[in-house]
Amino acid sequence: MAVIRERGYEHWDGRLTERRFPWWPIARTGVRLAFRKKGFKFAFAGAYIPSFVALGGLYVSERLDDFKALVQSNRALIKIDPAYFADFYTNGAFLFMLVLVLAFGAAGLVAEDLKHSALQLYFARPLSRKDYVSGKLAVVAFFVLALTALPGLILIAFKLIFAGSFAFLAQYPWLPFSVLGYGALLTLFFGGYVMLVSALSRNTRYVIVLLFGSFYFSAVLAEIVRGIFRTPYAMLFSLPADVRQVGAALFGAKLPQDVSPILSFLVLAGICALAVAVLVRKVRGVEVIK
Amino acid sequence: MSIEVKDLSFRYGKIVALDGVSMRLGEGAVGLLGPNGAGKSTLLRILLGFLVPEHGEGRVLEYDIRRDRAAIRRSVGYMPESDCFVAGMDAVSFTAYFGELSGMPRREAMKRAHEVLFYVGLGEARYRLLDTYSAGMKQRLKLAQALVHDPRILFLDEPTSNLDPTGRAEVLELIRDIATKNSVQVILSSHILDDIESVCDSVVILNKGRLAAEGRMEDLRAIHYSLYEIRVKGDEESFRRALGEAGCRVDETEDRLLKVYLPEGADPMDVFRAAARTGVQMRSFVKSRTSLEDLFAGVVGVD
Repeated sequence: MAVIRERGYEHWDGRLTERRFPWWPIARTGVRLAFRKKGFKFAFAGAYIPSFVALGGLYVSERLDDFKALVQSNRALIKIDPAYFADFYTNGAFLFMLVLVLAFGAAGLVAEDLKHSALQLYFARPLSRKDYVSGKLAVVAFFVLALTALPGLILIAFKLIFAGSFAFLAQYPWLPFSVLGYGALLTLFFGGYVMLVSALSRNTRYVIVLLFGSFYFSAVLAEIVRGIFRTPYAMLFSLPADVRQVGAALFGAKLPQDVSPILSFLVLAGICALAVAVLVRKVRGVEVIK
Repeated sequence: MSIEVKDLSFRYGKIVALDGVSMRLGEGAVGLLGPNGAGKSTLLRILLGFLVPEHGEGRVLEYDIRRDRAAIRRSVGYMPESDCFVAGMDAVSFTAYFGELSGMPRREAMKRAHEVLFYVGLGEARYRLLDTYSAGMKQRLKLAQALVHDPRILFLDEPTSNLDPTGRAEVLELIRDIATKNSVQVILSSHILDDIESVCDSVVILNKGRLAAEGRMEDLRAIHYSLYEIRVKGDEESFRRALGEAGCRVDETEDRLLKVYLPEGADPMDVFRAAARTGVQMRSFVKSRTSLEDLFAGVVGVD
């Protein structure tokens, strides 16, 4: 490794500025690094498959006469209303793809920094813990909103285009807000959940396993508890069920569980509170073991 | 004064890391010297605002260490002791990224990243993934990220650890070059005496969390004591006791060499008199050169 240094140390003649959003470079870099990972682009693209299926459903619903044979048996499936959006957002395939994208794109957000002792480099800069966490959270927000709010709004737009009128929007004027609200809710929940799990280990592979495992194991656990105690409240243990419950409530659709969606919301909020507690402990410029 | 601390104390649980340290550091390269666990890294971390001191106060440049952390971090470049990088990045993106986080405009940060990477000798490897860097390259990279925003003070924590002799010499040469710029003050924390001796104008010696010595290198090198290396045969214990009564400090190395620190104005013949009195045979009597090592041994003890 030859030293290429014809001149001595030279000063930079610019001026350092105080950023309005100090977390912005962290967010931008986090998204860019995720797309550099092998296979992530395919996972991200694949996560739009449920959106394309929903788009197909929208098209078919406006061309029922052309697809008589297809929809003869179950016309209700192709009825486009808020429940259709609730189904789209809470179906198993959609949630699986969302968790998959977050597992491969965001699992290492904190874990990699812990593993490579990068936190001290961040905090040697004029950054607060809030800035650091906001930057990392923005990465999760990007992926969640790109897979929830964005396709949801596009689906509404396509519904209007296919229908050739604003009647649908006039009938459900709150639907775009439900889409945005659900996107915001998933952003907060998955932001907290991913950051929590990512801060628990220095090994990204463990984090990926933990992300998937705890999300889906909670559903198994809930079924076991329900089987033993025969109470609908057991489903509160299931994170996918809680997401579905709150999603259905936001879209004004029939609730899949016989419990209050507020309780499900509180469970999801509890995960976020736990994430804050863990992040306060783990995200520091220097690891202090007392 | 660029750095001033007063009665600074910090403990990790029950372990006292810093115990009432007060000092004032002026211009030029300053060495922070001490054995492992002396409190050097803790002091740097407190100055950077990573740790909040239990007692005491301090200022870096004109900024208070408790209140003005962001301003301090904008003015200071920090090269940590441990390996640290962001996985999946190449050197130029990494360096520019931290420049940007320091407050540099994005394009300027990228331009400056290229410059500092060439400066530290990583110009040819600047597009390589950091995961593939060797220990020496990572060390240079840490220096590059500390320099990218052109800090007024550079904190270097064990900058030559994990380096082979050639790499060590090259990194020290870089640090010397930076230290010659009057507008960049270098604070070099190390337990390697040669590193401090070859780069720094003044030194602060910490031992067990306390300030053991502080001052300009040439002043500290001035002999306040004479050091002799002695080998004896006979009743060593009585001989050491006799020397102690004469006001001498005696340390023994692993190979049974006695290091005798004579206080200022003491007569070397006192050593022979003590030997005669206790009946030990003097096998070797060598006046040791006075260096930072002697000073270090004088205030910290023989390792």
